[in-house]
Amino acid sequence: MRRVIPAIVLSAIGFYFVWQYEPGAADDVVAQPPPTVIPSTPAPTTSSSSSSGTTSTPVETTKTVQGSAERNPHGTVQVQVTFTGDKITGVRFLRLPDTGPSRMAGPLLVQETLREQSAQVDTVSGATQTSDSYVKSLQAAIDAKGA
Amino acid sequence: MAVTRVEQVMGFPVSVDLRDGEPEDADRVFAWLHEVDLRFSPFRLTSEVCRYDRGELPEVSDDLREVLDLCSRYERDSGGAFRARLPGRPFDPCAVVKGWSVQRAAAMLRDSGLSRFCLNAGGDVVTAGEPTDGQPWRIGLRHPGNANEISAVLAVRDGAVATSAAYERGQHIIDGRTGLPAYGLLSITIHAADLTTADATATAAFAMGAEGPAWAAAQPGCQVYAVDSDYRVFRSPELPVIR
Repeated sequence: MRRVIPAIVLSAIGFYFVWQYEPGAADDVVAQPPPTVIPSTPAPTTSSSSSSGTTSTPVETTKTVQGSAERNPHGTVQVQVTFTGDKITGVRFLRLPDTGPSRMAGPLLVQETLREQSAQVDTVSGATQTSDSYVKSLQAAIDAKGA
Repeated sequence: MAVTRVEQVMGFPVSVDLRDGEPEDADRVFAWLHEVDLRFSPFRLTSEVCRYDRGELPEVSDDLREVLDLCSRYERDSGGAFRARLPGRPFDPCAVVKGWSVQRAAAMLRDSGLSRFCLNAGGDVVTAGEPTDGQPWRIGLRHPGNANEISAVLAVRDGAVATSAAYERGQHIIDGRTGLPAYGLLSITIHAADLTTADATATAAFAMGAEGPAWAAAQPGCQVYAVDSDYRVFRSPELPVIR
């Protein structure tokens, strides 16, 4: 039983170094996907989806755009983005180095429409940098009301 | 007891909302921020920052060292988009000092045993606990096109929210890589555990322009709400939006 703890600790240390290992720029060659994986058309491809009926509703077009290959210290990253209308509906990595940091750094942002609303809030975040704009701001109204 | 107070410090209004504090606690917050203004303003010729810039300081204080380290870190992490030192201008650490000093004020309040408060420095917010039992602080994000409206509401207990935008002082944030005003974003809001991180990340991301939101979302512990010049919103899925 006493051997179990050192064994776990050593395994954890070993795993840490494996996790931290970065092959560096050498992985670029490996990361280059075969031509069958990358769509061979770098130019945007456009296709129309069905629009309902004969009314003059705007046609929702789907467009796929390939980003440029960007190098960073961990390797090369390239993405492909699909737009439906003017919304991003899909993001796919064409190239991603096989190292930890980049794998974790593919943060995904969702797109939505900007809304205008007047909800109850306790405070307001925004660039309120002048006293003149403060006087007219929502934050001033909140401060005037008190807690 | 509840204390609320507003004062103009460092060139912007600072609102202090203490739900379990005393007037003396608010006094200490403002005393510290006034001290920061005197020591770190690039516009006061006798400030520590100006004397440092002219090479007149015999030694660098711990506080100044912290600020200098933060400046270098964000300059490096943003690939030079954020710069405290722009050609032909005096050293200007304002973008870092604001978040750092207000976060320090929050730590002072916590050390005195306060657990429910909200500090808002020119639109950059740090909160603690809950304003009333069971309810988080509701932080409205200003609509970039309309000062009287908000575009989203975040629910935050212990955390920070900072916004960088060009809708007030115009294009005052310079992209350090080009030396030109940053463009591509109308505003960017960062939610992080502390205001030092949130404020510096928001400023650096705004300076980066269109690529700023993705960069900011990749920074550890940062969540993003960005409005680009086409009025499109890009946000982190895990951002605590309640409305």
